[in-house]
Amino acid sequence: MSMEEKRGKFCINDNMDVLIEILKRLDDRSLGVAACVCRLWCALTRNDALWEHLCFRHLSPPPPDGVRTVVVALGGYRRLYMVCVKPVLSRLRQGKLIRMGTRHEVELSLSLFCVDYYERLLLGGRIGGADSPSSLMFLCKAVNV
Amino acid sequence: MKRDRDRGNTEVAAAGGSSTRKLKMWEEQPQPDAGMDELFAVLGYKVKSTDMADVAEKLEQLEMAMGTTTEDGVSLLSTDTVHYNPSDLSGWVDSMLSEFNPTQIGISGHESSPCSSNLIYDDDLRAIPGGAIFSNYDNKRMKLQQPSPAAVPTAVLVDSQEPGVRLVHTLMACAEAVQHNNMKLANALVKHVGVISSFTNRSYEKSCYLFRRGFGRKIYKIYPNDNSLESSYSDALQMHFYESGPYLKFAHFTANQAILEAFSGASKVHVIDFSLKQGMQWPALMQALALRPGGPPSFKLTGIGPPQPDNSDALQEVGWKLARLADTIGVEFEFKGYVANSLADLDVGIFDISPSNDESIAVNSVFELHRLMARPGGIERVLNLIKSLNPEIVTIVEQEANHNGVVFLDRFNEALHYYSTMFDSLETSGLTRPDSQDSLMTEVYLGRQICNVVACEGVERVERHETLAQWRVRMGSAGFDPVHLGSNAFKQASMLLALFGGGDGFRVEENDGCLMLGWHTRPLIATSAWRLRRG
Repeated sequence: MSMEEKRGKFCINDNMDVLIEILKRLDDRSLGVAACVCRLWCALTRNDALWEHLCFRHLSPPPPDGVRTVVVALGGYRRLYMVCVKPVLSRLRQGKLIRMGTRHEVELSLSLFCVDYYERLLLGGRIGGADSPSSLMFLCKAVNV
Repeated sequence: MKRDRDRGNTEVAAAGGSSTRKLKMWEEQPQPDAGMDELFAVLGYKVKSTDMADVAEKLEQLEMAMGTTTEDGVSLLSTDTVHYNPSDLSGWVDSMLSEFNPTQIGISGHESSPCSSNLIYDDDLRAIPGGAIFSNYDNKRMKLQQPSPAAVPTAVLVDSQEPGVRLVHTLMACAEAVQHNNMKLANALVKHVGVISSFTNRSYEKSCYLFRRGFGRKIYKIYPNDNSLESSYSDALQMHFYESGPYLKFAHFTANQAILEAFSGASKVHVIDFSLKQGMQWPALMQALALRPGGPPSFKLTGIGPPQPDNSDALQEVGWKLARLADTIGVEFEFKGYVANSLADLDVGIFDISPSNDESIAVNSVFELHRLMARPGGIERVLNLIKSLNPEIVTIVEQEANHNGVVFLDRFNEALHYYSTMFDSLETSGLTRPDSQDSLMTEVYLGRQICNVVACEGVERVERHETLAQWRVRMGSAGFDPVHLGSNAFKQASMLLALFGGGDGFRVEENDGCLMLGWHTRPLIATSAWRLRRG
């Protein structure tokens, strides 16, 4: 095959592992944009593993295995990121607060995430409630990517 | 309304023509007892409440007119004129205004004493008993029979203090009146609070309104028997308070950290919560236990709550929801709920504790222990109960204020500062819109506490907050040693507070092993941890 032919035949969608590697390095906003490209990309960006990577990218050592079970049970990494991790990180890092270390940030995010789940449980029985009060509203309104 | 005639008089003499003073007027709220304004009536003037705004406007015009006419004004006003019916303030103002407008025909009259006396001098507020007012008035009338050329009886209002400070002073005067059992004066002052408070910013407004309501109850001796209604919506109220600010979250997170550290290594843990409410504290602890290195222990929770008016089992419902959460995150969970009117009614036998159980026990109390001081011997009983449970750790979160003083005035002063700071922090941190449900419910939640501190006595007064220092003495003499909360708790609390608005307003302070949440320099909530003294 000539060089031109080889180049023409390359399609990123045929090389999922490369695609995923690229997606792993994006931030949440770019992932949102990527989700709009095509159905395949949309499905890929909804993969929770991608969001897990996003949540704990800077954490070293990586969190223990038990965390995944808990997070998935409480709603998944994408929700964790949007509801807790992102607001926590952005608020703490823009403030004058001295960095406490990512381990503490993660712990706090997880605690707040659990509170969020419980609140949704508490409200589950109520029908027709007004905008669901959540103590995490102070962080941000969750945006569906 | 506060008047300081003597001061005003000298002010008048010195005023001259120059005035950059502002006339502060207010919109009088329509009084339920329509007709004549009561406060004016106390001073001897008849002004219809409905006319108040009108009169105020005219007075303002008068002031402006007087300010601009210098030589002419002096000569004009110093003529001998007769004033008919000095108590008719509205008529007098009309006549004065017509003097400055030659086109208008009216009875020209000047009377400097009603003029200066019907306005507010704010240099400082003092409680004015009715008799003193009348005697002042009479003196002035005598004095001002001979107008001196230099004396321009201008309508002068010096507002050297902000409305907020005025408000506070009025409330303090009211408290003093209550302390001396002068209910009539207190009543008048309470109504005055309503008048001023429309000028203040929201946080002052809120707290002063609530104090005013508390005073109202005290004066009219309305002691609402809250007990039946209380339990049904107090949970909901606290939920809204939970969402409106970092206070309860701080309390829960710091207490949980202490409990977590005390439970390290244990395989069976048992937490006894003295006021379960909606159980908001426990999800975070369960999650931390679930992710504990080495796996979670089995977790038993005993929740205590007040009886529900409709006999529904609120405790069990909460327990069930916590069980669902526990199941989701993989923690072995057991729940027991006990209903009790007061913690002092509890008996150690019901807790089903035995040494053979081999469980580590933690006792947790958030904003609950202070209620026991209302009954003699209550707190001692409960502390003995705690001791007989032999816990690993006892976590106590309480309001950092002394609202349990013997002297009413001191209690009131403390409460005023405490709740004003609280409302200030709520408003400034801007978490909830001022008219949101959370904000309104928080106001009710705190308002009930304020009413209780101000209006109730004896067993009814349950909001007997005490400071950390006082609790330290109490716990120490009961046989408990303090447990230091540690840097993990401090870091978590700091991060939590940094998430909230208010700039640097919220602070975590470490106080000899205990953590305090404060707003600027004022501590609001204190978390402390204890264990039984060994040996």
